Amino acid sequence: MSALSHYLEAEGVPTVAISLIRLHTERIENPRSLWVPFELGRPLGPPRDAGFQLNVMTQALQLLTAENGPVILAEFPDEDPTSVDLPNWAPPFDLAPPEANLVFDAALEKALQHEAAKALAAYEQFVKINGRTTVGLSRMDVEVIIKYVASFPAQTGQPEPPQGVTAVQLLRWAVDDLKAFYLEAMSAGPAIPASRQMQTWFWDRTLAARVIIALRRLLLGWDDKQSQLVGRMNLVPSAQVQRLGLE
Amino acid sequence: MVHISKLPPATQTSMANLETPSFADRPFVAGPALSCRRVAVVSSAGLVRRGERPFVSGDTDFRVIPAETDPGDILMSHVSVNFDRTGFQRDLNVVLPLDRLRTMADNGDIGSIAANHYSFMGATDPRGMQEHARTVAGRLKEDQVNAVLLTPV
Repeated sequence: MSALSHYLEAEGVPTVAISLIRLHTERIENPRSLWVPFELGRPLGPPRDAGFQLNVMTQALQLLTAENGPVILAEFPDEDPTSVDLPNWAPPFDLAPPEANLVFDAALEKALQHEAAKALAAYEQFVKINGRTTVGLSRMDVEVIIKYVASFPAQTGQPEPPQGVTAVQLLRWAVDDLKAFYLEAMSAGPAIPASRQMQTWFWDRTLAARVIIALRRLLLGWDDKQSQLVGRMNLVPSAQVQRLGLE
Repeated sequence: MVHISKLPPATQTSMANLETPSFADRPFVAGPALSCRRVAVVSSAGLVRRGERPFVSGDTDFRVIPAETDPGDILMSHVSVNFDRTGFQRDLNVVLPLDRLRTMADNGDIGSIAANHYSFMGATDPRGMQEHARTVAGRLKEDQVNAVLLTPV
């Protein structure tokens, strides 16, 4: 982000960057930055808090009129109030603990479809309240996504990826969509728990997460570099890899 | 998760070891009062419009997001899984604050909102973005934009 700021400013366009990784901003020394103490993924801070976000915007944009350049790095003082764990939080649907053993077969697809069906009402409620969903990268609906991921190791009956897209890339988008489906369903209630609470619940309590972890293991064992890269980097967050002791 | 020391160890290491470009020059462009600025957002969240090809590893190009795009048609395709998406799922403004810009324009705090906004994808060697950034700069200037807010993830 800081490098983009430099490139645009060099072309004559004034810029101000929000900084999440202060270390990188200090190294690159782009023209104007507002460092914010928020978690990665939230440059404007808490969701659905227009006043807080406007404060961030105002403090950032006001740096455009500061004259003490060529490198300005200011700090936003307040933390994201939604970054704190909510005691006793639980998602608005209940799931049975996933089976210990996982085998990619027809029974697994059936179990995953059954689990997703339990979350469906909450997901639909979230979409209704929120007015949007972020599911859609794979262009498959959730039922087809489940069929795709459950049959991926066998590579049978798979939908054809779009032109120029590999099966592993389509798998990554399908997994992104599956995670978004669950996390949006988990977000249907009025409370806004810390993101790490939601991540812990998803990776500990869902069959979907166990399937994604198994797909990661599968790709890591394949020979081609793209599969290994997607398996290592693009399916399971490194925090969960460490917390769950995954290889 | 406020400071880099609070990130997972693996993320801390990758952040600390990430190669960052260094620049000999220090461009710093002045402009009019904030109330006269036309503002665009440039995100590195790998945002795409629904139906567009998502970003994949190594992509250094960009996507255009017209200001009037339905929020429900904006998806995130960043390859990294090591940042929060639940904020974005609840509220597009966490990453692409177009509603906040509209409020600031209505209040007279800024002059106007750009016709188009842009997204790159971080987690890519930024040197590969330079030519694309020049293209974006040209488009911004055509749109009379004189202020860019860059939002990372």
